[in-house]
Amino acid sequence: MTAATALSPTGFDWVCQLVRRESAIVLAPGKEYLVEARLLPVARSLGLSGVAELVDRVRARPDAALSRRIVEALTTNETSWFRDGDPFTALTSTVLPALQAARRPGEALRIWSAACSSGQEAYTVAMLLADALPNASGRVQITATDLSRDMVARTRAGRFSQLEVNRGLPASMLVRHFCRVGTEWEVAPQLRAMVTASELNLAAPLPRLGPFDVVYLRNVLIYFDPATKRDVLQRVRRLMRPDGWLFLGAAETTLGVDDTWERVACGRGSAYRPTRGA
Amino acid sequence: MRALVIDDSRAMRRIVGSILEGFGYETRPAGHGREALDVLEEGWVPDLACIDWNMPVMDGLQFVSAVRANPAWRQVTLMMVTTESEHGQIVRALAAGAHEYVIKPFTADAIGDKLALLGLLPHGVPA
Amino acid sequence: MSAPIATLLDDETVNAVAAEVWSALVGEDEVLVPGDGPVADGRSAWVGVEGPWSGLVVLTCSASATDDLTRAVLQLAPAEELADEDVDDVLRELANILGGNVKSLLPGPSTLGLPQTGTPPQPGTDVRPVGATWRGHPLTITVQGATEAPVHHPTTEVTP
Repeated sequence: MTAATALSPTGFDWVCQLVRRESAIVLAPGKEYLVEARLLPVARSLGLSGVAELVDRVRARPDAALSRRIVEALTTNETSWFRDGDPFTALTSTVLPALQAARRPGEALRIWSAACSSGQEAYTVAMLLADALPNASGRVQITATDLSRDMVARTRAGRFSQLEVNRGLPASMLVRHFCRVGTEWEVAPQLRAMVTASELNLAAPLPRLGPFDVVYLRNVLIYFDPATKRDVLQRVRRLMRPDGWLFLGAAETTLGVDDTWERVACGRGSAYRPTRGA
Repeated sequence: MRALVIDDSRAMRRIVGSILEGFGYETRPAGHGREALDVLEEGWVPDLACIDWNMPVMDGLQFVSAVRANPAWRQVTLMMVTTESEHGQIVRALAAGAHEYVIKPFTADAIGDKLALLGLLPHGVPA
Repeated sequence: MSAPIATLLDDETVNAVAAEVWSALVGEDEVLVPGDGPVADGRSAWVGVEGPWSGLVVLTCSASATDDLTRAVLQLAPAEELADEDVDDVLRELANILGGNVKSLLPGPSTLGLPQTGTPPQPGTDVRPVGATWRGHPLTITVQGATEAPVHHPTTEVTP
């Protein structure tokens, strides 16, 4: 690494503040090498010379999507399977019975994992529905999208390292739905068949998708400014069934951002549903 | 909350013990299954036991079977923490009565995630 | 008699296993750089695998690295004293975890022995040594088939 491409102290401070603000994770002084190691692949994927140029670019021209990639590269080693378990327990305890009552038997259930990362959320949903519905593989369609091409490819592959399957995946589900392939664990083919993964930028106009019965849009809105948050929520709502369910991250809400949603108690947490006539 | 940490490696007992103490647990170590049964028989019945598989004297699977055979110890949640990582081994441990399974190597977060799944995170401790 | 180890495992797989062990146990930011020469004055721990393929998984660290390695795994403060037994115990546990993960990649069913330290049995011709460097110190992970004289696995002493 030459002096010209090294991250400056102010650049490092900026990264620390970003990560602290968005994830509450504190990068201690002396972790410059960690920032370099984790962000270099991000810089290279954009055709930039190094981490310094990456940081200069985001500082000069704020870019929520890129900020999110930086924070994720520095914070998420492994995503947990039942991360903040409530939105998943609510799926089978509350949402599924409501949908079964409202839909024709056999009618498709469409679920969207809108920032799917390496796929844990999409496959968690697939496992829960496969266990709860006898004909899940014929009835459930899970759309998994992410900004990152790498993450979409990982989701599609459905392969996870030992460290990843250790993170909050119940052992009974691991043995039921995965098999070992070399050092990794691979999701069963019938679950992979339920999941379609593709690249998608939530901050841009969305393609024709859905209509979705359930949307998981978790830990994404925090990266956007209020106007963009509202745009994203409105675009998402247009892709949902009128009686659909939206799950946000524990620190996120539609309240004060977009008033076309109502917050409802759902399991031990809450979900958001389009208000009538909105 | 109490946890019994059963592993023949002193280093591993220390690592698992300090992770659990970080979550607010009171812990006791045991170097193998027989020693752990002694702790239970003496009346110190924990909420959780973290159990290595391969140990001298009495291995983890024998310990799991012994605990599950005694109704007085039904409250103990049994979590294997072991380098045994074949699909079939995990099935064997679950069939013997283990409730959860963590594969070595693991991170502190992995233990926290499992405790959250099991409802064994003392209230107020962030996962 | 199973296929030789060289056809069952490649360096990359052993390195991937070791990298996971290091990042989880030694430290999240601890990098094992693949490839390096053999360790001259090493300290070793190993564990036996018995099954369709039988042999040993041996971890050998240069003597200069074992203290730092033990301190990192046990998260000891610089002022805390390091017992010799702790060094052996940490090496044994690392060998145990490496061995268990390697075993899961071999034809099964297999059983894992209890880890030991000392001078490991000389490898025969069925051997795959994988070198790596940690914080500048060389170490090797050697997966070696059982030699003709059957390897005896005495029970490791229990250290409460």
